[in-house]
Amino acid sequence: MNDTAIAPARTRPDPTEAVWFRLLRAELRKLTSTKMPWVFFAVLVVIAAINAIAVVFGTDMDGSKAFVSTADDQQSLMAFAANSLMGATLFGAMAVAREYGYGTVVPTFLASPRRHRAVLAQFSAIAVVGSILGCIGGALTMIAVALALPTTDYGFLVPAGVVGRLLLASLYCGAAGAVLGAGIGSIVRNTGGAVAGAVFVLIVAPPLIVQLASGTGAWMPSTLANVLSGVMFDVSTPAAVAGLAVWAVVPAAIGLLAVQRRDVM
Amino acid sequence: MTGHIIEIERLTKRYRKATVLDDLSFTVQPGRVTGFLGPNGAGKSTTMKILLDLAAADEGSATIGGRRYRDLPDPAATVGVVIEANAFHPGRSGRNHLLVVADTAGIGRPRVDEMIDAVGLTVAADRHVGGYSLGMRQRLGLAAALLGDPPVLILDEPANGLDPQGVRTLRDLLRARAASGGTVLVSSHLLAEVEHLADDIVIIADGRLVASGPLTELQQSTSLVRTPTPADLRRVLVTAGADIDAPDGQPDALIVRGLRIDEVGEIAFAAGVAIHELSTHANSLEDLFLQATITTASPGAAPSATLRAPREVQPT
Repeated sequence: MNDTAIAPARTRPDPTEAVWFRLLRAELRKLTSTKMPWVFFAVLVVIAAINAIAVVFGTDMDGSKAFVSTADDQQSLMAFAANSLMGATLFGAMAVAREYGYGTVVPTFLASPRRHRAVLAQFSAIAVVGSILGCIGGALTMIAVALALPTTDYGFLVPAGVVGRLLLASLYCGAAGAVLGAGIGSIVRNTGGAVAGAVFVLIVAPPLIVQLASGTGAWMPSTLANVLSGVMFDVSTPAAVAGLAVWAVVPAAIGLLAVQRRDVM
Repeated sequence: MTGHIIEIERLTKRYRKATVLDDLSFTVQPGRVTGFLGPNGAGKSTTMKILLDLAAADEGSATIGGRRYRDLPDPAATVGVVIEANAFHPGRSGRNHLLVVADTAGIGRPRVDEMIDAVGLTVAADRHVGGYSLGMRQRLGLAAALLGDPPVLILDEPANGLDPQGVRTLRDLLRARAASGGTVLVSSHLLAEVEHLADDIVIIADGRLVASGPLTELQQSTSLVRTPTPADLRRVLVTAGADIDAPDGQPDALIVRGLRIDEVGEIAFAAGVAIHELSTHANSLEDLFLQATITTASPGAAPSATLRAPREVQPT
């Protein structure tokens, strides 16, 4: 340290700035100042590349390229919302659990001891980044498929309106998945456990629930994501939006309550 | 700078069946550096966490300036905290860590740059914290604590891993903060450092207060007395409630704890015991700490008399 005495602050907190916006900015900086979003971005690039490879080298059983021959086929291939949901859930779970694991949540709770504000800002920031990652994932997949289609006999057949729908579905599922994951992360607070929890909620639990309660299949997360992408029609689009919101909000609300009640360290 | 009094009142904390804090009470005055001492597991960190609303007490209260931490209007500008030496994301740079803290507290970037320079991390500021030494992490933690220029500092082991120059600068900084009216509570295992630094001492063991008060007063709370009849003097002093030790190789001497020096003289006079010397016996902080904590660490043992009735820390 310097020998000179550490000088008093020349800048003071801006009292007019809402605390919540300060917290949101800090949470966004937390998420963008580590490599984690870039790792997820790299995964999205890999997924897009796999789609492109599938278009270039894949064939149906009869050796034809029928799986990209219609607009509906191409829409199904480019429907990224379910992947967006899964990826963003993992992202949210890891982002929050690592906060507790590394103790970096402590400075946040010291600045905002009424923890619900900090947690809501954290969930909001994760939803923003999750939605961006989801949207990028959807866009990369479409770009990859569009770039690969010239190697086949078929052009890009999906109308602009459907492209917009696919992007919106990926964006919404990214946000919903991120909040769902953040909720799991704040409940479990251990990275490995949070990832396992996310896998359980999205992959293991749905078939078990459907077996136990017939008729619930339409309300499982991946089905709802595919409804939003317009490739499944088990429920209406508004119902799918609401259903995914419930899947996201319930664990987030439990997490919020848990954080407020538990000791931080 | 106007500090705030820290008041810990009848604090009790249990984790399942284990009582970590047991009816703990003490105060920390502004304008003073208070050393917070205790063996590992004594409850120092738990006390600090409760004070900072990071943990909940089962009973009692902990306030800063009469308010719970959560009720402070601007906590980051009121209290600077170093509580966890490794509470950093290893993949985030030191500068970004401070920017996150500054964002949270609504503090501008210029102050971040200023603090990076002040703690000597200018060259390393853009490196990942995962590559920092313990001392560099301590500097980063201190920079974060001082970002809001708070009048109250609560520091858990802040000197751990600092080089001698860093320790010296930290000491000067904390002394200057207290001199300007700030409140400084520092927990540390480095007793020699605390002895140089602290005006007041709070010692806890097994979650209970065993000593508190101005350091110089506590250090001089022991008397050395020489008498030709040590057995007679020992008997009357023990009856009066003193703890007596006999120094090795000095058969005519007794070390008396639990009574003021004038009380020792009056009791000897009243008993008709001749005294050849009566003087204060200055303890090192290490002696004081060991007396307090070893005595209370023994199951069922009572604290030594000097330390049995702790007094509130008062400004001098």
